[in-house]
Amino acid sequence: MGNDEIINEGSQPEVEKLRRILRNLLIIFISILVTLSLIIFILFLVPVLKEVTSGQRTVITNNLELKQDASYKKKISLMTRNIQLLSRKYSAYTSGQSYIVINTTDNRFFLYRNKKLIREGFCSSGSYTMLQTEGDKKWIFKTPKGKYWIHGKTTNPVWKKPDWAFVEEGLPIPSKDDFSRYEYGVLGDYALAIGDGYLIHGTIYKRFLGMPVTHGCVRLNDEDLEVIFNTLSIGSKVYIF
Amino acid sequence: METEIINNTSGIKKTFIILIIIFSVFIFYYAIMSMMSPARKLSAINNEFSVNPVENTLVDERIFSDSTYLKLLKEKAFLQSRIVMAETDSIYLTINLTDSTANIEISGVVVHKAKMSSVQTSKILIKGDENIILSMLSSPFTISNAYATIRKEPVMIKMAPKDTTEYKPDIMPDTSIVEPVNYILEMTNGTRIYVYQEEKEKFSDRMNLFIFNIKDRLRDTWSSLKSVALLKVPEYHPFIKMRLPRADAKIIYRAIPRYGQVGIYR
Repeated sequence: MGNDEIINEGSQPEVEKLRRILRNLLIIFISILVTLSLIIFILFLVPVLKEVTSGQRTVITNNLELKQDASYKKKISLMTRNIQLLSRKYSAYTSGQSYIVINTTDNRFFLYRNKKLIREGFCSSGSYTMLQTEGDKKWIFKTPKGKYWIHGKTTNPVWKKPDWAFVEEGLPIPSKDDFSRYEYGVLGDYALAIGDGYLIHGTIYKRFLGMPVTHGCVRLNDEDLEVIFNTLSIGSKVYIF
Repeated sequence: METEIINNTSGIKKTFIILIIIFSVFIFYYAIMSMMSPARKLSAINNEFSVNPVENTLVDERIFSDSTYLKLLKEKAFLQSRIVMAETDSIYLTINLTDSTANIEISGVVVHKAKMSSVQTSKILIKGDENIILSMLSSPFTISNAYATIRKEPVMIKMAPKDTTEYKPDIMPDTSIVEPVNYILEMTNGTRIYVYQEEKEKFSDRMNLFIFNIKDRLRDTWSSLKSVALLKVPEYHPFIKMRLPRADAKIIYRAIPRYGQVGIYR
């Protein structure tokens, strides 16, 4: 009996200590739970609550009596005519001529004649490489996006190498009309100029078709290039996106 | 000594309780203010785009809720918006919520079509007055800001070699890397277009989307908290959330200009 009392007295502070630890743990746990609930409430519930907003939704009617009204008929016919005009105006934007669409993200082309797709395939477009010299000169090799048109068509084109072609290979830049600037046979059999020095041409690097590897021009394989060359004429639209 | 400890503990408890009350009141206030924001936005839209009362008197007012009239008005609004964009000569995006498509167009020519697998629209764009919302949609929206998990222009910097010995020919680009594509296009009128990739086959895709969403929610909450602290109703952003195939989502993001235009048909 006496021994038991001594044991009980000795364990009393221990139990108290354990209780305090448990209480602290509970407080920490509740605090974390409350904080998490608050975060969830603010980040997730409030946006949901915002959407439970009331708005005055238009009650759409189909009143037959109204449809017989002269002013109604007049308004509807005026509107229909307006829409027809707008629709005609919008359709006129789509060229009835042949045109080409170039997708620079997927490196694919789509050739259209009379608004119908007649050929599609792979191409190569700008690599998005920025060539930088120590002298702070920069060239960015990207294919321009937007609406362009064919400015000129050439057979057996010769590439007149621009400055960056020399800089890229660590070569000194020659004079403007130096013979080293002219390279034969690298652009394929045909080239179509789309302005600002950009061309649609052939390539000797056929394994790169479908990849963004060019200096801004659009490269195609020989067969596709021939069809495009024969389908598009000067003035044909080129849509690049 | 014991009484002092008890007093201290009860003091801490009191402060703690007071802080909790203040905090709870603030959160409640924040929630109320946030819930008021859509109504405020709707009223701002109503003020900006409401139909002229003079126009109203010309025809029977019942026409403004007539199904045929509203159908025609929808067509007209979308065409008007597309014509404005086509005349700019720039690349633009058209979103058709009725047939769940997102198209890239250049000068009136659809150059790319994408099918949405799911689309969710803010209540304000559905519940608002048809005539007012269609009036708003008759002009294109202009992008003012974008948040994305991919770069708009993946530019790589290459230093020019000093001479031919330093020259290294270009290697074939690594096309096996597939980055998750999720982005938000914020319009000048506050509307946000969320584009998420449809594919969620990998854990990293899900994780990326989760982090992207949390970042967006934190950004939004922070700006709302700042407004509420200044006793202002936070700004509400009407939204369109869509899921597109990854390839299409990427094409759209890379194609449209930084401050490009968007036309919506609903």
